[in-house]
Amino acid sequence: MKILVCVKQVPDMESRFKPDGSGTWFEEADLAFRMNEYDEYAVEQAVQLKEQLGNEPEVTVLSIGPDRVNEAIKKALAMGCDRGAHIQDPAPQGKDPWQIASIITQFAQGEGFDLIFTGMQSQDRGSAQVGVLVAELLGFACATTLVGFAYADGVITAKRELEGGIKGIAKLRLPAVVTCQLGLNIPRYPTLPNIMKAKKKEILAIPVADLLKEEAVASTARFYPPARKGGGIVLEGDVGNLVEQLYGILKEKTTVLR
Amino acid sequence: MNGNLLNGGEFLLADTAGMEIFSPEEFTAEQKQIAETTEEFMKKEVFPNIDRIEDKDFGFVVEKMRQCADLGLFLAEVPEEYGGLELEKTTNMLMIEKVAPAASFNMAFSGHTGIGILPMVYYGTPDQKERYLGKLSSGEWIGAYALTEPDCGSDPLSSRTTAVLSDDGRHYILNGTKQFITNSAFADLFTVFAKIDGKHFSAFLVEKGYEGFSVGAEEKKMGLKGSSTTQLVLDNVRVPVENLLGEAGKGHKIAFNVLNVGRLKVATSTLGMAKGAFAEAASYATERKQFGKPIGTFGAIQEKLADMVAAIYASETVVYRVAGLLDSRLATLERDGDDYYERYQRAIEEYAAECAIAKVFCSEQLDMVVDEAVQIHGGYGYISEYAVERYYRDSRIQRIFEGTNEINRILIPTMLLRKADNNGSTLWELVRKAQAGVATETACTGEFAMAAASIARLKQLFLTVLGAAAPAKEHQEVMLAVADMIIAIFALESAVLRADKTIAAASMSKQDLLRAVVTVLVFELSNRFQSAATRCCAYALKGEELIELLKRVATLTACPAEGLLVAKHKLADAAKDVGRYSL
Ligand SMILES: Cc1cc2nc3c(=O)[nH]c(=O)nc-3n(C[C@H](O)[C@H](O)[C@H](O)COP(=O)(O)OP(=O)(O)OC[C@H]3O[C@@H](n4cnc5c(N)ncnc54)[C@H](O)[C@@H]3O)c2cc1C
Ligand SMILES: Cc1cc2nc3c(=O)[nH]c(=O)nc-3n(C[C@H](O)[C@H](O)[C@H](O)COP(=O)(O)OP(=O)(O)OC[C@H]3O[C@@H](n4cnc5c(N)ncnc54)[C@H](O)[C@@H]3O)c2cc1C
Repeated sequence: MKILVCVKQVPDMESRFKPDGSGTWFEEADLAFRMNEYDEYAVEQAVQLKEQLGNEPEVTVLSIGPDRVNEAIKKALAMGCDRGAHIQDPAPQGKDPWQIASIITQFAQGEGFDLIFTGMQSQDRGSAQVGVLVAELLGFACATTLVGFAYADGVITAKRELEGGIKGIAKLRLPAVVTCQLGLNIPRYPTLPNIMKAKKKEILAIPVADLLKEEAVASTARFYPPARKGGGIVLEGDVGNLVEQLYGILKEKTTVLR
Repeated sequence: MNGNLLNGGEFLLADTAGMEIFSPEEFTAEQKQIAETTEEFMKKEVFPNIDRIEDKDFGFVVEKMRQCADLGLFLAEVPEEYGGLELEKTTNMLMIEKVAPAASFNMAFSGHTGIGILPMVYYGTPDQKERYLGKLSSGEWIGAYALTEPDCGSDPLSSRTTAVLSDDGRHYILNGTKQFITNSAFADLFTVFAKIDGKHFSAFLVEKGYEGFSVGAEEKKMGLKGSSTTQLVLDNVRVPVENLLGEAGKGHKIAFNVLNVGRLKVATSTLGMAKGAFAEAASYATERKQFGKPIGTFGAIQEKLADMVAAIYASETVVYRVAGLLDSRLATLERDGDDYYERYQRAIEEYAAECAIAKVFCSEQLDMVVDEAVQIHGGYGYISEYAVERYYRDSRIQRIFEGTNEINRILIPTMLLRKADNNGSTLWELVRKAQAGVATETACTGEFAMAAASIARLKQLFLTVLGAAAPAKEHQEVMLAVADMIIAIFALESAVLRADKTIAAASMSKQDLLRAVVTVLVFELSNRFQSAATRCCAYALKGEELIELLKRVATLTACPAEGLLVAKHKLADAAKDVGRYSL
């Protein structure tokens, strides 16, 4: 079996974000980057499946981006993936999900993967489209938002999270794409010995131009901080006075009492 | 890098220009990954349970220690043939920094991986390593190190614990009391120092199960309350002769050699703690409002935040500069051969003074940082619910163990002078030149040329004052002042070298901060140098000579520090913006 895991490197979500010069993305300088949290579940599930199948499957981890994304690839390798593919792209943020999916598809077509794991979405853009688009482009079966995963005899049993907290079970035959939700498993910490061993694993470097064949179908118009909400007001005084004040505000500033 | 790898202490005599330092900006993907694994583990498993640890739930501590072992966090300094990783010191320090904010847990961690395991790594026989190292690195057993005694702390060679060979020659029989032993409540193996026949200072591997060995009650401490610290009582403990560690009578080598890197590790721990305490203070300063404004907008608080950032930047730079020096030296060693660890020790000993500088400087920066962190919290900083209260208490001991800061301070010039005596007289030649008023030039150019010129003047002044004060060197007060001059030079030079090395690749806003931090540090450390130099002169000289030299001290340390206020505002604002140290 050949497995592909797609991971993205995203900024630490505790950072302060500022729009960049173009006004369509955030300023990346001085931000710390890490593996997209959803993708950690994808990597973990792929590695668990590999272990379940007696280590037979080969797991490739792919990431698109500048040199720094090698850190995310290396983390996945340290968690147990076998080889990496770095699609070198200095500015992946300029590409829409369609282009990203088509790049992954181009890479995957030559490789003959049976199963592809992605995160449900990325923490920064949050489009949740890449996994499903890849499935469509490759003609693979697809299940999204996995909170449970089991595999036996060529069939995946996927527990999916549906609207309103309901769960659904889907069965998929390979080849397939699954997108992983938070809580699917407990991603392992890469141990120090495995981090050091991962140094020896192969990472392919492929210029994005070799794989990019599609035009964007969507573009980012503007990246801006949400409008500041007005500060709250603290009313003071005795109860009668408070009621009067509140009544006045509701009457003047809202439509509640009109 | 090895081309111009300086020997220990040489930084004082050489031009800053062309000096190579390792800076944290150079961490590789693997090093960052190791840091991330350590940090994630601490964030998920340890920090949320600090209260439990502080309540001395040692079962929990041991459980978390075993998890550390599963992640390989104990393997940094274990030899490869015993399943270890032999990581660089820089990597090792990075790990310790991440563990450090949980200071009590760090005692267990560092006590075990450092002074617990290392004596055996360095001096253990293959048989001893076979029997114990695997158990220690897998966390099955926890290690401890027992040197101090009730009447013997800074002067360990005055040990009163005795070892006498049994009549059948199969055991050493140990008697004595050890004091303040970290990890003893749950440690399984102790490296115990004792004098054979009351004369030959030696080390022994003592298992907790040996008859006559007992662990005393927990000390009630000011801080590190979640760390185990007790007496050990050795009452006719029979230790098999195979458990003599290293050679009989060579215990001092074991005791002192683990201390060099140990001091760098304490420096690193204090760095990690300082970052932890600072994050509390920076975020509190933005949240807490008085007079209708966040207190972080008041100049009084901004000044504190800026000084703390500069202190942390300097500490961080010192730690990794010294770690980098050790790595560069160790990288030149042939790994094969039975004498590897002997050569390894010599390589580390070369930088014993730098390790001591790091320990003293960083532990005192931490004290300043925790003090101001409490101050920024106002009355809440005095209340145990707030993390800064713990940082404040946990900080104080760092100036005392691993060699008190007095002992370390005295070591710094002592080692330097000893070296000068041993390898010719470069030092005294330079002293004479400096005294003759030959101005020290620096070849440094670029952004920080002015700062480098200040450093060159401080070095010249150091040599001049040293020359004048040398006849009074039997006074510790003089040596302490000399140490303070050396420490100021090392810290300032490190910070300037790092800023210079990294500014080109930094973002515009980061470049601004680097300029700001250099401005603050040139001012602060020149002033500290000036104070030490003045003190040194006053102790050692009199009359005309004193007055003349003081004039030179004043002239050569004068630091206009234009833009100091703006620089501090920038550092404070940036820190408030991210809510933690992020230079
Ligand atoms: C929490 C904690 C954990 C510890 N863990 C361990 C451990 O695991 N293993 C272990 O072996 N020890 C441990 N220690 C002991 C620690 O290393 C000693 O406390 C330290 O070495 C100082 O010794 P002392 O307390 O006897 O002080 P002293 O040596 O009595 O010093 C008292 C004062 O005199 C000064 N002084 C002493 N000699 C000189 C001199 N020649 N010149 C100038 N000034 C001098 C000192 O600087 C200090 O200010 C621990 C201590 C504590 C508090
Ligand atoms: C043990 C203890 C006993 C106490 N007992 C009493 C008592 O009996 N009665 C009582 O009424 N109170 C008592 N207090 C409260 C004590 O007086 C306050 O803690 C103190 O006034 C500081 O106020 P704060 O804690 O709110 O700090 P804050 O006012 O929030 O100050 C936080 C920090 O901001 C700084 N800061 C605040 N405003 C400015 C400004 N304008 N410019 C520059 N810097 C500023 C402060 O210097 C401080 O560093 C006690 C507190 C403690 C801890």
